[in-house]
Amino acid sequence: MSALTDLIYGGANAVAGLTEGAVNDAIAKYGEQKEVAFPDTAYFLPTIYAATGVKVTKLGDLPACVGVLKSLISGKEDLGEALNAGLATAVGAEIIEALKYVESADPYAGDSGIGFVPDPIIRSLGVPLVTGDIPGVAVMLGKADDAALVSEIIKGYQTRGILTFLVGDIIEQAIENGVKMGLDFRVVPLGHDVTSVTHVVTVAIRAALIFGAVTPGDLPTLLAYTKERVPAFVNAFGALDAVTVSAGAGAIALGFPVIVDSDLGDIQVPGALESVTDLTKTVAHSLELRNIKIKIREIPIPVAFASAFEGEIIRRGDMHVQFNSTRKPTCELVVMKDAADIEDHKITIIGSDVDTVTAPADMSLGVLIEVCGEKMQVDFEPVIERKLHYWYNYMEGVMHTGQRNLINVRISKEAFEKGLRLKDFGEVIWCEIMDEFASVVDKCQVTLITDEAKVVELRDSVAMPRYDERDARLAGLTDESVDTFYTCILCQSFAPSHCCVVTPERLGLCGAVSWLDAKATKELTPTGPCQPIPKEGCTDERLGKYTAVDEAVSQATQGAVSSVTLYSILEDPMTSCGCFECICGIIPEANGVVIVNREYKGMTPTGMTFGELASMTGGGVQTPGFMGHGRHFISSKKFISAEGGIERIVWMPKELKDSVGDKLNKTAKELFGADNFIDMIGDETVATDSETLLAFLTEKNHPALGMDPIM
Amino acid sequence: MPFKRTPQKFNAAINAMTLGTGDNAVTIGGASVLPLYSFDGDIGNAPKIGVEISDLGLEGECVGMTEFYAGASTPAEMAAKAEKMPGADFVCLRLEGADPNGHNRSVEECVEIAKAVAGAISLPLVIEGCKNNEKDAELFEKIAAALEGKNVLFLSAKEENHKSVGAAVGLAYAQKVGAESSVDINLAKQLNVLLTQLGVKAENIAMNLGSAAAGYGFEYVASTMDRVKAAALGQNDAMLQMPVITPVASEAWSVKEAMVDEADFPEWGPQEDRGVRMEIATAAACLACGSDAVILKHPRSVATISAMVAALK
Repeated sequence: MSALTDLIYGGANAVAGLTEGAVNDAIAKYGEQKEVAFPDTAYFLPTIYAATGVKVTKLGDLPACVGVLKSLISGKEDLGEALNAGLATAVGAEIIEALKYVESADPYAGDSGIGFVPDPIIRSLGVPLVTGDIPGVAVMLGKADDAALVSEIIKGYQTRGILTFLVGDIIEQAIENGVKMGLDFRVVPLGHDVTSVTHVVTVAIRAALIFGAVTPGDLPTLLAYTKERVPAFVNAFGALDAVTVSAGAGAIALGFPVIVDSDLGDIQVPGALESVTDLTKTVAHSLELRNIKIKIREIPIPVAFASAFEGEIIRRGDMHVQFNSTRKPTCELVVMKDAADIEDHKITIIGSDVDTVTAPADMSLGVLIEVCGEKMQVDFEPVIERKLHYWYNYMEGVMHTGQRNLINVRISKEAFEKGLRLKDFGEVIWCEIMDEFASVVDKCQVTLITDEAKVVELRDSVAMPRYDERDARLAGLTDESVDTFYTCILCQSFAPSHCCVVTPERLGLCGAVSWLDAKATKELTPTGPCQPIPKEGCTDERLGKYTAVDEAVSQATQGAVSSVTLYSILEDPMTSCGCFECICGIIPEANGVVIVNREYKGMTPTGMTFGELASMTGGGVQTPGFMGHGRHFISSKKFISAEGGIERIVWMPKELKDSVGDKLNKTAKELFGADNFIDMIGDETVATDSETLLAFLTEKNHPALGMDPIM
Repeated sequence: MPFKRTPQKFNAAINAMTLGTGDNAVTIGGASVLPLYSFDGDIGNAPKIGVEISDLGLEGECVGMTEFYAGASTPAEMAAKAEKMPGADFVCLRLEGADPNGHNRSVEECVEIAKAVAGAISLPLVIEGCKNNEKDAELFEKIAAALEGKNVLFLSAKEENHKSVGAAVGLAYAQKVGAESSVDINLAKQLNVLLTQLGVKAENIAMNLGSAAAGYGFEYVASTMDRVKAAALGQNDAMLQMPVITPVASEAWSVKEAMVDEADFPEWGPQEDRGVRMEIATAAACLACGSDAVILKHPRSVATISAMVAALK
């Protein structure tokens, strides 16, 4: 480390000396009262003003600043201290540049750089920076060995919309290689002296003052703002002298990583100072270091892409090729990987493309999508995977059904004629993942396999085990195994006082929001409808009553509902919006409950139809004895466990029995050792009134009849 | 049993927001009681009334409007008359003509109109866009720059364009940001959270919670506003304590009752009277539910609502 700190201190001291000399000379020449100011700014010498709150207006103010600057150079063998010395270099550079404006009103008139960037330009740049239209700011300084290569880097930033500032001979190198310059082209030459880098530093600093409302003098907040909100980084080229290194240290102190083209060996500081000697990798590595994501504007495929095409059916006669699991091996898989294993936007095709077959053809297809991201979690894999169905269908002339290893994808003749190939599937998947899942996915690569043997290999040795793992995880997810539940208030526009509490074993009553979905929603839309509830303050285990749940529900319903239990239908049952898949209602004469699903139109033994039950249950009210829930909740061990659980179920419509029967039997076996419990439960073919039902239950010796009175 | 009055007191208040500068600045919000519950405590600043003019002039307007604005041919001239309208607290310039699917007036042209209007009036100015998210974002940025220092409110930032509008209007040029959501307390709150996360100060945000003409689903508006005020005051929810401003004119004058010709529905009476009644009924309902300011256009509506506010404050 000492080699690096020595360089930084050496450079900082050199700049300090230069600064002091320049200030003294200027005062000797013009006197202390001579005005000093950058053109068209309300922020004085912005670095000094932002860091210390001092408003420099005349030369006489500067010696004190030089004093502060020197005090920042401690000379201590510590990287943090050395970075402070880097800030001193930034201050020194700012003073030296400001003195140029004392000498001449337009010191950059003869330079190809523009020098100081006035406030109005920063205000106009701020908006696209905030919205991500300018996804990042590159500062490139020095002189590269290979002018053509470095110009390619600049163009690389240009095509990604990144705003690039140039300092040094790199300006001429870029001009020679035809780089278009100017604000409109997002390439701005600043100047040739290394001190002119201060003009981009003050851009970042004024952005913090203008857009971050940072109070001048509040240095920690300023540094936090530039680090977190100003997506800038530095690329330095050519031989590194002490002054450049110390200016780089200043950049690092502001939170901007520095990438150099020479090999720094072990004086590299990961994440802050790194070497990239292969210039073709500079762009990708710089963006990755600063975690800059590029907004995708349009998906480059030969057919249209919109939700309007979702319902498009491609008949056999119109299809060019299909990838159908019943005919050929297929699978789709999203997996999370380490960042090092993924090259972003890499699309690989293994096997022949669709232009090698004649219609109507059958082909194998294995799609492996590998993603990584700081906030990515294995639990989000299936959430992303489920979206594939939509993205395929959004392509004009493509149809997709199913998921995992059971799919059917068809490409129409028309889409094929327009030029649609497998690579386009990869583009669509990549673009949509990077767009829709931008908050969790940082990099993504897509592999499309049509080679049958390799598809089988992917399916059997990678995909199937992964699907099994996920199913096991889902099955093993219990309310006990997690420490967080989630609210879901998506339906509050219809039922203002309703709030679902989503737990692993109790999914949202609409059936569409599982605990995993809620968790993903929270990551993808942090301010959205699903907010975490810490599983804290259990006051009654039987009822599933938690103070944290009550607080969250009370907050989410603006006080309309103050308490809900997770496992009881009689004591503070959960509210319902109106989208419940099923309604459960007690039937005291049978000492149990009936469950009726939305699709069932007939009468139930409670004397009420689904619609009539819904009118008492929905709208965010708590009606003890009635509650809405999802289908999957029925076979849960937590289903009205406070009142005795699934043993209380005495009646369900036939269709519902068929759909949940297997799982319900399994739970019944585990809980109370009953075989074929489903057969003890009545349905509309047995009874739609309570007396006939009771006779049936007695005949079957239904366990509910022997339980404590339900109320 | 004698009636015992129990004032409903809250330890919270709606933010007060000042529009415009100097002697003619107006302040909205500030209540620490339910809307217009002056018998319970401090209602803060009495509700304010904005007078809306359009960059499209008086195209298709009724006689009452054309008579009032007689002789005014430009938006600036109209604005000068609008601020003299009895009951007017501020002027609202609606840039309908900017809509890319309509007149598609250029940003530069709109900036010139906005500057001219701002120069013609001394009351505070509110700028309403054309409801096209992208165009509004462009428009607001340039107008916010041109009117820097005038403390203008822009309607509105929506979820889709809140970053651009928030950054330009609220941060770069320190104007006031209207946050528009569509009659849903959670969306309203989410947008306020997003804007404050962007760096816009809560006190510089006003909410347009969305509206509907009376009889056109207004019960949703009423329930949303009720719940917003209940959360802001009862639960001290800082992300819902922004004052509410509701553009009423555009809603009220675009429903059948306000639009159909008397010739087609003679039993309904004169069209202009119907429009005025829709506007008054809607505005009165909004104020009762919690709007801290309403935007109207007809002189009779402005006079009536202003009399109502005076009587109730």
